Amino acid sequence: MLVDFELVRRAQQGDSAAFNEVVLAYRKRTMGTIGRLIARTEDVEDVAQEVFLRLYFSLDQLRAPEVFEPWLYRLTVNAAYDYLRKQRRRPEFRMSDLSEQQVMMADAVAGGKVEHDQQQKKKIRETVDSLLGAVSEADRVLLLMKEVEGLSLRELEKIYRVKENALKVRLFRARQRVLKAFETAERKNENG
Amino acid sequence: MYPTRGDDDKLDSLLQAYRAACPDREPSANFMPGLWRRIESRRNFTFSFQRMVRGFVTAAAAVTLAIGVYVSLPRARPAPEVSYLEALADANTLDTPENVGPVRLELNEPGR
Repeated sequence: MLVDFELVRRAQQGDSAAFNEVVLAYRKRTMGTIGRLIARTEDVEDVAQEVFLRLYFSLDQLRAPEVFEPWLYRLTVNAAYDYLRKQRRRPEFRMSDLSEQQVMMADAVAGGKVEHDQQQKKKIRETVDSLLGAVSEADRVLLLMKEVEGLSLRELEKIYRVKENALKVRLFRARQRVLKAFETAERKNENG
Repeated sequence: MYPTRGDDDKLDSLLQAYRAACPDREPSANFMPGLWRRIESRRNFTFSFQRMVRGFVTAAAAVTLAIGVYVSLPRARPAPEVSYLEALADANTLDTPENVGPVRLELNEPGR
């Protein structure tokens, strides 16, 4: 826990200063998680505000301060999922949709401005984002929570309120789909 | 073609690299003011909505009560069970001039 239970309890009782402190303690980590889940840096802050807005209006439903972190993760997962679903309805122009030649041109232009490692990171983000296109938004979020955020199955069980075995099966299937997409991309690279 | 163990490891490495490529980030200076603005805005909306709902419920209850009272009141003047012509005649007996009033036959009148 990044804050003590007493602070959460005070926030639950409507203490605005306590709520403020809770947000200050968790906002950086929450924004990091959201950034990895949605892969759109420009919208991370907006989604994070939505998470804390939902937290503010749902704190009274929290059974005990001890389960605050899974609760916050749950809100984060739901907000990210809602965002991804909205994005799917409103498709936007993304790097993964460009032809190879266009990507090379864009990279060449960007190369003058952005440092090499930044370009590398961008490429990794785009690759993973593209691979995760092989699974649904819900599976994308679940897979990232497990593989990238490093949460255990027990923690995920608390967040999703779903039995560990069901999560295992879902994770396995999602990972297999991503692996298949990864393998296809690898072969394409080798051939092209 | 099934993914191989090597692909599995490569995917793990890629996901770890993804974690490093998306580090936790610092929020902008506008984060907290923006959040409180959204909270206030939602709170005001909820408050207005609650007031509207409360007003609507009160008005509906008042109307229901009024209709209930109206329906349960006994009729002070029950509708008379007379024909239209009788009712018309009764209504006009006092003010109606003699010549348009109902005809009366005096059977005892001399000459008849």
